[in-house]
Amino acid sequence: MSTHLFDGLPLRVGRHVQGICDRLAKIVKGTHGLEVDPLTDIAICCGQTEAFAAAIFSIIDPGDEVILFDPSYETYGASISIAGGVPVFVALDPPYWTLDDGKFLKSFTSRTKAVVLNSPHNPTGKVFSKDELEVIATACCTNDCMVITDEVYEHITYDKTKHISLASLQGMQERTIITSSLSKTFSVTGWRIGWAIAPPAIASAIKNIHIRITDSAPAPFQEAALTALESQPQYFESLRQDYELRRDFLARILAEVGLRIRFKAQGSFFIFVEIPEECLLSDVDCVKKLIEEAGVVGVPGCGFFHSNKQVEVGADNFYGNRYIRFAFCKSDDTLAAAAQNLREFVNRAGAFDRSEGVKC
Amino acid sequence: MQTQCTWSCRHEVLGALRSKSSSLFASSRHLLRQYAAGSRSRRRRPPSFAAMSTVATEKEASPNQKESSGKPLQVAKRLEKFKTTIFTQMSMLAIKHGAINLGQGFPNFDGPEFVKEAAIQAIRDGKNQYARGYGIPDLNSAIAARFKKDSGLVVDPETEVTVTSGCTEAIAATILGLINPGDEVILFAPFYDSYEATLSMAGADIKCITLRPPDFAIPINELRSAISKKTRAILMNTPHNPTGKMFTREELNEIASLCIENDVLVFSDEVYDKLAFEMEHISVASLPGMYERTVTLNSLGKTFSLTGWKIGWAIAPPHLTWGVRQAHSFLTFATNTPGQWAAAAALRTPDSYYVELKRDYAAKKQILVEGLKEAGFKVFPSSGTYFVVVDHTPFGLENDIAFCEFLIKEVGVVAIPTSVFYLNPEEGKNIVRFTFCKDEGTLRSAVERMKAKLKKT
Repeated sequence: MSTHLFDGLPLRVGRHVQGICDRLAKIVKGTHGLEVDPLTDIAICCGQTEAFAAAIFSIIDPGDEVILFDPSYETYGASISIAGGVPVFVALDPPYWTLDDGKFLKSFTSRTKAVVLNSPHNPTGKVFSKDELEVIATACCTNDCMVITDEVYEHITYDKTKHISLASLQGMQERTIITSSLSKTFSVTGWRIGWAIAPPAIASAIKNIHIRITDSAPAPFQEAALTALESQPQYFESLRQDYELRRDFLARILAEVGLRIRFKAQGSFFIFVEIPEECLLSDVDCVKKLIEEAGVVGVPGCGFFHSNKQVEVGADNFYGNRYIRFAFCKSDDTLAAAAQNLREFVNRAGAFDRSEGVKC
Repeated sequence: MQTQCTWSCRHEVLGALRSKSSSLFASSRHLLRQYAAGSRSRRRRPPSFAAMSTVATEKEASPNQKESSGKPLQVAKRLEKFKTTIFTQMSMLAIKHGAINLGQGFPNFDGPEFVKEAAIQAIRDGKNQYARGYGIPDLNSAIAARFKKDSGLVVDPETEVTVTSGCTEAIAATILGLINPGDEVILFAPFYDSYEATLSMAGADIKCITLRPPDFAIPINELRSAISKKTRAILMNTPHNPTGKMFTREELNEIASLCIENDVLVFSDEVYDKLAFEMEHISVASLPGMYERTVTLNSLGKTFSLTGWKIGWAIAPPHLTWGVRQAHSFLTFATNTPGQWAAAAALRTPDSYYVELKRDYAAKKQILVEGLKEAGFKVFPSSGTYFVVVDHTPFGLENDIAFCEFLIKEVGVVAIPTSVFYLNPEEGKNIVRFTFCKDEGTLRSAVERMKAKLKKT
């Protein structure tokens, strides 16, 4: 059986480089102890984006509810909605983004079809703990629902935090669709090589959807993926170390600006800072200010919050406009320049946590 | 600056009004309201879907008390419309018999060096991160410039061009972005097989008009009866896969007047526009009154023999582009960056490239067509694409699939049975498709095998 499908096979057979599946199967076995059949359990897609969209289309019927943790990457909700599903947001509790078991369990209904788990987490940098994963696993088994994971930051964790794949917990592999990609691990976000790993019937459905969405991931980059996926542990270790240095550097700078970091990012390359209480500016206004006066860009957190709407909880408990996400997936030069700009900004305008400084 | 996700709360942005020619992303929220509002306790089944497979999972039990069913979790009902296996079977058979493959619709030769070099250079220059979601400015401009040369239409690269992962994704984004569940869409059979599946993903109501041999002309009276104010869109493909038919100006005028009269959109798949042999390719968007209601779809792959690069695009007025971009943003988010840089270079190639392309393909076509005729097939005229369809019935096999199996096993050549390209497979049982997007040596070998083995029978 030819392993390179570009030369021998008629159309409509999923066009992927089988070697990628072989390597991924080895990797998930070695890292997470999962037995995966490379011939039937893996779909190669145009990035994790497409893997997720295909996963959603493969399992969500109109009216199906999908539980998501808030704050969350915005695309998940959109994919779910277009498939006719109903996103149900469960807020992680600030300032440490803890999972409230009760809140989570109460969100299940007879219509719940799946839970989406992004860990390491964008935008907070949280890595779900073993205990939290157990809670999620138990709930999903009890409610007989599926999980779609987004593990794109799986190799970017800090301070000895380990990324645990939810699928490796008892009872979970049969109901979990793992999605991930090359993008963040190998700093090739523009190549669009991602994958979904799932039990064969689901993986087959995902492939079926995928070949109608894009037909195949870009061929030359699939070939490159073969090489990337042969990387030795040293590569991943140095990736982690480089990012950890950057995290610490950026965290120091942001603290100097008076932005508050109560939760230290355990993974991903984001720091989700809080605007201090003394500062009455919204996240959007703070970001504007930083762009205009410091020449540094962050992302206002409001775009990630779907629950905790001001109308729901009243002014006291409302935090949806109190966070800003900064990324440190930048070269040393860029981070140094940002540091320089921010220091000058603080000298001119004062820090955000000095109420006599910045005109809040 | 490339942000990974947008700032604006998408739910607020989705305030699009319900009008026929605007994006209807908001209407999926209408659907949500239908289901969410009082239907928590019942599972509503749309009448067009039958129960799936052997076991229906009923989830009416109290949420925290259910025990695990132990049954495999169910895939979504939309997959019932998806056919898959015929090509898998064919491919296994082809490999087993060492058959020459004239079935698959992509070249066995490579794209031009200058385009490959441009991609390599882009990679070396570090252009490996997310491109702007709807396309790098250079490529959007190149697409607009090419479209102006080809169709005479002037479009704004910033608001009217969207780059996608191949034309396949352009089609998917167009359909998912602009078609609501229950919308009526007209298709012409035989059709590229992903059209039906993608339309069913969007919950469309498909109406099919069959193009018949020998010339696969549009049955205008049938089209007139089929189209009405209820019709949301027509999905057309010219030059046409699998028949090679090209829509004539008369046919396009007819389509245009019916669409204008009934306020219907047109999605026009024109990936083979540069392989127009017998007549000039006409973009339906260029007809009076049509641009505002047309999405024109195309790609790099067929024209530049780089089908694996997945660079495609959709050109449409801003109010339709908006829907395409919304869907695109969660289907793939962005298209591969190095490929886009190379595509921009490719599209700036002088016209001589296209002249040579046509000439090369015309020579290949001649080898195949003459060979098929000599072997005893009834060959239908093909005006464009790199496909030719033939009637296989002179050889006495009962249908197209049986014939293709016979052709692989006894003759050592692969063709594609066309019945999978029809809503009603019966309509394709006499017809199979060959491709000539192969090097001349391969074509000659295939033709020799067919002449040797088929003329005897």
